[in-house]
Amino acid sequence: MKNTIEKLREHASATSSQWREEAESRAANRSWLRYSQNIAMLMLDKMEQTGMTQKQLAEKMKCSQQYVSKILKGKENLSLETLSKIEEALDLHLLSAVTVSA
Amino acid sequence: MTFDEIINGHLWAVRYEGEQDNVLYNLFDHWNDVVWLRSFFKQNKKDVVSYFKIEDINQAIKDTIDDGEHLERLMMDVSLMTNLDTLFRPLDNSRMSESVLSKEKARPHYILRHVSWLRIYAIKLASDVYIITGGAIKLTATMQEREHTRRELVNMEKVRSFLLNERIIDEDGFLDFINEIR
Repeated sequence: MKNTIEKLREHASATSSQWREEAESRAANRSWLRYSQNIAMLMLDKMEQTGMTQKQLAEKMKCSQQYVSKILKGKENLSLETLSKIEEALDLHLLSAVTVSA
Repeated sequence: MTFDEIINGHLWAVRYEGEQDNVLYNLFDHWNDVVWLRSFFKQNKKDVVSYFKIEDINQAIKDTIDDGEHLERLMMDVSLMTNLDTLFRPLDNSRMSESVLSKEKARPHYILRHVSWLRIYAIKLASDVYIITGGAIKLTATMQEREHTRRELVNMEKVRSFLLNERIIDEDGFLDFINEIR
């Protein structure tokens, strides 16, 4: 069996895999990732309802389309500033539990 | 194709031609990507509704993320002490005898809201030595019914053929294979 494993090692990838690091990161950041994923779902629902494209959303949020794409995957640790921009651009109420008095 | 050693000599994952990382990386990346999952469940909505009675796509996405988390933890917890023969099961539920480079599957066994639709597929190189070839969100009774699961069968066969062509198999296994095809 040792010989078979050695033969398999002759076909090992040239670079190391990032899977374990990613998996550990997902486990460590589980809590905010769930928020990020739920927000992405709300955003995608609203975009579909209103027919808004990623490009249009990026223009409204004054950010790049690449950044919008990342947010929609549900993998971004969103700042309050970004959350506020999302609310405004899509007329969503993500932070409604937090009231700000003028 | 090349191979990544996940656990020293024990568990491997295939890195297919043109891919930056192995199948394990790609699977869990997809199973945590809301855009990818939404697109998948829109394409396969009929199956989610008819087999799992789930109408809400966002619920299907959440269930996948939860099950994916559980399955990824199972994979992360694999060590040299883990008996992989208990993690992987024969792909064909009715398989009665061992075959050379057999096709296997792993899935989360706990039931949260419904039986998990996530699968990880592998080739068994030897007792307690497995090579992960891919995985899928399996919504139908058989893999032949849908293109994305059929593709996994093709990939398993490709990896199996590669191993046989390169003679990455122990001598007893090779003799068994010759006898199998005779």
